[in-house]
Order: sequence, then structure tokens, then C-alpha cells
Amino acid sequence: MSSESSTLVHDWPGRYHHIDQVLNTPGPRTDPGFLAGDGVKDFLRNKAKILVIGAGGLGCEILANLALTGFKDIHVIDMDTIDISNLNRQFLFRQKDVGKPKATVAAQFIMNRVPGVKVTPYFGKIQDKDDDYYLQFDLVICGLDSVEARRWMNATLVNLVDPEKPDSLKPMIDGGTEGFKGQARVILPTITSCYECSLDMLNKPTAFPICTIANTPRLPEHCIEWASVLEWPRVHGDKKMDTDDPDHIGWLYKVAAARAAEFKIEGVTWSLTQGVVKNIIPAIASTNAIIAGTDGVYSYTFEHEKRDDCPVCGGEAVDMTINSDTTVEQLIEILIEKQDIQIKKPSLSTSTKQIYLQAPPQLEQATRPNLEKKVSELVPPGGEITVTASTLPFSLSLRISYEA
Amino acid sequence: MSTVEATTTALVTESAPDNKTRRYDRQLRLWAASGQSALENARILVVSGGATATSILKNLVLPGVGHFTILDPLPVTPEDAGNNFFLDGLNSVGKSRAEEGVRLLLEMNDGVDGKADTRSLEEVLDTPGGKEWLGEFTLVIAVNLEKGPLERLAAVLWEEESFPPLVVVRPAGFLAEFYIQYHEHTVIESHPETAQSLQIDRPFPALLDYAMSLDFENMDVTDHGHVPYVVILVRVLEEWKKTHDGLPPQNAAEKVQFKKNILAMRKKPDEENFEEAEAQAYRAWTKTVVPSETRALFDDAKVISPSSVEAPFYKLVRALKKFVEGSGALPLTSTLPDMKASTSAYIDLQKLYKTRAEEEKEVFRGCLSEACGGDIKAIGEDMIDAFVKNSHALKLLRGKRWAALDEDHEALVLATQTSSKQLAVHLALSALSNFLAKSKTSGQTLSAEALTAEAQKLLPDGTELPEEFEDCVGEVVRSPTAELPNTAALLGGLVAQEAIKMITRQYVPINGYCIVDLVETWTGIL
Repeated sequence: MSSESSTLVHDWPGRYHHIDQVLNTPGPRTDPGFLAGDGVKDFLRNKAKILVIGAGGLGCEILANLALTGFKDIHVIDMDTIDISNLNRQFLFRQKDVGKPKATVAAQFIMNRVPGVKVTPYFGKIQDKDDDYYLQFDLVICGLDSVEARRWMNATLVNLVDPEKPDSLKPMIDGGTEGFKGQARVILPTITSCYECSLDMLNKPTAFPICTIANTPRLPEHCIEWASVLEWPRVHGDKKMDTDDPDHIGWLYKVAAARAAEFKIEGVTWSLTQGVVKNIIPAIASTNAIIAGTDGVYSYTFEHEKRDDCPVCGGEAVDMTINSDTTVEQLIEILIEKQDIQIKKPSLSTSTKQIYLQAPPQLEQATRPNLEKKVSELVPPGGEITVTASTLPFSLSLRISYEA
Repeated sequence: MSTVEATTTALVTESAPDNKTRRYDRQLRLWAASGQSALENARILVVSGGATATSILKNLVLPGVGHFTILDPLPVTPEDAGNNFFLDGLNSVGKSRAEEGVRLLLEMNDGVDGKADTRSLEEVLDTPGGKEWLGEFTLVIAVNLEKGPLERLAAVLWEEESFPPLVVVRPAGFLAEFYIQYHEHTVIESHPETAQSLQIDRPFPALLDYAMSLDFENMDVTDHGHVPYVVILVRVLEEWKKTHDGLPPQNAAEKVQFKKNILAMRKKPDEENFEEAEAQAYRAWTKTVVPSETRALFDDAKVISPSSVEAPFYKLVRALKKFVEGSGALPLTSTLPDMKASTSAYIDLQKLYKTRAEEEKEVFRGCLSEACGGDIKAIGEDMIDAFVKNSHALKLLRGKRWAALDEDHEALVLATQTSSKQLAVHLALSALSNFLAKSKTSGQTLSAEALTAEAQKLLPDGTELPEEFEDCVGEVVRSPTAELPNTAALLGGLVAQEAIKMITRQYVPINGYCIVDLVETWTGIL
């Protein structure tokens, strides 16, 4: 059945027999605000507009569940194309789809399988879309694989909230999986704690010290990092490493294996090489289904605390006390170390002057002498520093005070 | 070609992975080739082709289960077409639910074999040879079966220990439960979170000699900063014991002193290996023990009395018991965690552990040979290796017959105290099942009162229903036959995940009921 004709199919008698059992009558524990009956069914089937971000493992599950539940107007964004390693769980894709955009193929599949549902795909980045785009939805559901994208989406939805317009508050459901484990949470921007509030709960990514990689490798992973971090740029110059290119992985594997042999280290394999350079997280269909449905066999629920000093939803500058001898360079190091901010290359400025900018090169050069200066020479006590970084989806305000 | 590349081409043998390995890459990282092979050799029977059943199968077909059969005599109804993703809308209505489900599930993976069987379960059970037919599956999953046929199926599969485990799945709206019926389930590769002990408190001779042979005082400064913490701890502990009647630190004060002794050895204040040794100092005074769960295995009746038809697991445990009696601890680990060290110091230490682990494995093989009457070939090297590596995390689960809980008054009364909210859901679902079986003849209509009366009958006289029961029964009454897409998806994930654990004999499956409440979003074990 083509999507053209499927949109013409009307709901048939009995189609919603199952879901109607919980929509027709409230249960003992349904929220008092839940108005069972035709109103809720009409909203769900004819009015609600849902955005799904990510058409990967979780996205496929979410799309199918939404369609069967009766939602008719679903949008999906994904910037990736289909890889063969997706097929063990992303069940809307087939071998013949490898290389095609995930969003487009997923949307078409759902429309073919579930008559009357309209799924509008966008093959691209969430950052391509503006506030007006996000304002059209009733709910945003994320099945993302990166912290960066989640932070951007979270910050965007928090900033969207206009206290004068209740409709501007878009609930966000965020899920993630890793192997047999996973999590899901609901964020009501500005009301509940947001993604940024609990950023410090994330595990720090495994990073091997560069001196270990360069001088004292002990594990096969150290040899692989040596090949990708040090040898690749040395041998290939500016040529970008593509971790999806089997030739590139093959090269890294060979180089890592040679280094391992030199140091008598065992265990460098193709699979490990790929795992380390792509930072692969194991993934299976069953976990995605559970998270899309909600939690796991050994599940627990807890409430995240809303942080008043959250740089996204706290609405205030973050207070920071440093030594009056602290240099700009040291302040940057402190910021990089902070688990609750998670930035890589911050640029600093005040409302009147640039302190240090990472880019463009001319400005970097012009502001570089400031690195050695004391912050106290540039910012008065109680003054604010604006921190920006490419990994930071918003600008962070620091209110600086100095230790006595 | 760079020099590195030129020198390596000769020694690298592994080439780019084939398509199958690439397709399954993300799961092979969880259960490895051995788990994948078990999955590909498995044959699954699913009784019913409804939305929950196909959701479960989806998560078994995608990772590549060998074969599945859907047993379902019913045609697709318009209601099925509305809630089952593995039906083609109105096009499927009137066709066989089993055949349509199999067709659309197989689209996802060419490597899987699937079969639709349009007989009813009763027909299978009544056919001569039906029992044997069931017995040939690796696992049977029954979704939403009526009480009568379900009890017959469960009883048949319980008859022989060699018959497949049975997973019983019962959804009703936002509530659900599933249960795995098995006699016993043994796991060697349980994928524990904790690593095997490095046995620093009882260093093997070569390690002790090595630690004592180092001349820390006159060592080159760089080398000094790269001695692995394991070696430092062995050395400090040995020196300590000399002045403390051969005992490790006994109390808080001694432990503090022990740590001071470690730090006093530093040549520079920033030697990270000594800081690491201080942080890991507890390993020096933590006695290496056989975990109580493993020890309990040694006293298991099946371990004590060998039988001619027993699983290799029991022979291996018997050999382990013998080994522990001889050496006082489990076989030494051959895996060293990463630690601050130079490459050579780390590799040397790794070699010491590996050599010793090999020696201990040989001793273990001797014990095993004794336990097997000389022939250990049948067990296989891979299993022996895996067993030795996981000897600190072996699992033996003994299960119960389906519905045994509902007949065990003592357990039910206890559950009203300890797991009341899980029990409440279970009682509501059991009451529904009992009620539906009776209402066929009585014609009674479903109500909260009728279900409450059924549930009360399940409990011994004088025992009150849990206070959460009222909410559960209300939920069941409003949606007694609903298979909601979200509940089906969740159960599809949970049941498939447990099925994979059972099939691969990796990770630890549940033992009991898994209860699901999607109104309050929790799952629990009963």
C-alpha cells in the first residue's frame, strides 16, 4: 500500500479496541485531569503533533508505538544514514536501505505499515531548525545517542518557554540505552529539573592520559589510541579519519597491532579497534523496546533535583569563587575539569571586552597574551564572565568572586 | 607505506569482518560468538500470534534466533490489525494470524527460519506425539493463554527436566506479569560486575619472590615511579608481617600505619603508583575467600552425589570443590586490571599472573579429570576456560512449577507482608484468569466485586488482600483484554531479554514472576 492511498484509509471499526479500553474510562490511579472519552481520543488521533528526535534504535521503537497508539501527525529528525550494524535492532530498516537516510526510510515504513499515519521526516540536524519549528509540537521525544545533542535540545526547549504563553512549554521525554541497561525521564522545561541540572551524574568518558599512550602502553586500548590519536595525524596529515571506513579501521588495526607486538601486549583485534575508535556502545533490540515502553526488569524511579544554579533553567549566573592569583589559563582548566559543565574549549569574555577566544585564529592570537594574566586584573569582584564553547548549547554566565 | 605498516603486514592475520559479523557487531560485544551460536541454534515456540507475542519475537528475530514457530489457529480480526505491528492493516484481516505474523517478522532477518502452525494448543496436546513435538523446542513462550490450556501446557513441560523452559506472559492494559518455569538453570558466564581477586593477601611464590627481589632504595627514579601497585602492596605486606607475628593489619590504627608505610617509600611526592597502592591498600588485608554462593554449591546434593546423566556444570563444580580443598582459594585470575606502571613492569607482572593461572588451571584439570573418571574431552577447553575465569560468579537457579505460588499459602501470606504491591498485581491477574475460565459457563459479568472474590479465594482464610489490590483490580476491570502497544513493546523487550539469557546461558535470568505496572512505571520481582 503506498502512503498516498494509506492516508485515505479511515479508521475501521474495532481498530482502537485495545487502546480505547484505557481511553474510554479512567482507572483508579489516572490523573484527575485526564478527561476520558471522545475528547482525549480526538486530541490523540486528530490534533496532537509529536516530534521524535532520532530514528535509531530507540527512535524506531518510539515511532512504531506512537503510530499504533493512534497518533496521526508525527515528525522525525535524524541526520544519520543507515549502516549495516543498525540492522540488529533498528527494525524499520532492511539490508537494501543501507546508505539511505534513517528519517526518510523510517517515516515511509511506518506510513506503509500503519494506515492513515502521517510521518514527516527531516534528514538533517536538530540545530537546523528554529524556535518556530519546535513551537508547533505538543511533545518532543528524544532517542538520541549524544550528550551534546541532548544538551542542545534541552536548552532550546527551556528557552522556548514564555511564561505568558502556556503552549510554549513543550514536555520532553528523553531515553537512552547501553547494552542491557537504559533509562527514560520526563522533563517539563522550567518546571522539573532539566537535562543540564543532572549533567554531573553522567559517567566521565574513558580517556587515557596521553603520556600513557605515548610512552607506557599496557593495554591493547592504549595501542589503538596511539594509532588513532598520534599516528593517524602524523602519517595522514590533515586527512580526516572516517571511523565508518573499513580501510581506515584496517589501517588503525594494523598499526595498533604492530605497536602491541613491539611491547608484547596481547589483545588488539579488529573488533576492539573499531570499538575503541568509534566509542561503540553495545546495543540490542530488547533494551530499546523496554526503554521505549519505559523501564527494565530491575527498574527504579527517582526524582532528579532541580538545581537553582543550573546554567540552563536556573536563570541566574553561576557563582564562582577563585583565588585572586588565578590566571585566565588556570580558570579555563578549572572549567574544563568541572563535571557539571562539561566543556572542551571555552572562550571567555565580559560585556565590555574579550578575555580569550578559541577562534578565529586572528582573535585567538590577539587574546592569547591574556592567558597568563590574572583574572582579577581583568574582572572586578562580582563581575560576570560569559563562557561560550562549541559543545555548549548556551552561553554560561559566571559571577566571579575572589578568595579573601 | 610507512615503516610501521611495512613491518606489520606480515604479522596481522585478521581481515575486515564479514557482513554477518558487522550486522551483529553491537550484540556480539554483549554475548560474544558463543552466545550468538547458542542463539542461532535455538528453536522457539510462541503460543499465540497477538501483539505481545510478535513484539517478543521481533526482539528474538532481529538478533538472529535460529528458528521460531507461531502456534495460533485464529484469523486476524480488525482489532488485531489495529494494535499489532506485524500485521498489514486491513489487508491482513481474515488471514491466519500465525502466517501473517511469521511473514512480516521474517522480513527483518533472512538468517532466521520461521514457521506458522495453525493448530490450536489443545489439538497439539491431544495429538499422539504432541508432547515430543513440544519437547524439541529450546524454549516455549505462552502469551495470554486461557487457564485450562495453560495449566495443561505447563504440566506437560514440567514432566521431564529435559523439556524446554516455559515463559508465561499475561498482560492486561497497563498491568502485566511474566514467569519462567524451569527446573534448574546453571550459568557459568554470569558477567559479574566484580572482578576476580588478585589474591594480594596470599601472593603466589613467584610474585612474592619478585616483590622481595626489588631494590626500591637504589632503584632508578623513573623505574621507582613505575612499579605496579600490586608489587608494592605485596612487598609492604610481607615486611609488615615480619614485625606483626605474620599477620596483616588488624585494626583501624594499623591500617593507617600500613598506608603510611606505603607513602614513606616514595622518592618523590608525586609518584602516582604509590598513591594508587595507598588507595588499593585494602586489598592487602582483605582475605581472599570463596564467595558464600559458590561455597553453597559445594554442598549441593547434586554435587555431592554424582549421577550418570548430570550436566557438565556439576562435574566442574565438583572439581572446583576439590581444587579449593587443596589450595584454599579459587583458581587465580589471569586478568590484570590497568595500573600505573611502565610497559615492561606491567607486562612482567602480567606474565607472572598468566603463568601462575595456567599452572593452577592444570591443577584444576587434574581435579576435573578425577571428577570425570579420566575423560575431560567431553567438557571441552572453552568451557573449562570460561568456568575457571568465572569461578567466583557461578550461578545455580532452581525454579518452581508454574502457579506453584498460588498453591503455597505460606509464601502468599509472606508476600502480603514483603511484596504487597507486586502481589496485588499478581492476584488481580490470577483472579482475572480464574474468572474468565468460569464465566464461560456461568455467564457472570466482569466486575471489581467478582474479581475481588476470586482473589480472596487464592489467599488462605483470614488473610487480607494487600491494600494495593483495589487499584489493581480497577485497572484490570477497565482493560481486561487490552494489549496496549506500549505494554506489548515493554513486555516484548523484557521477555526477549530473559529468553536470550536462558538460551545463551549468559547473564542471570529472573527466578520467579516479573511484575509490571505501567501506571506507576515500575517493575518488580515476586
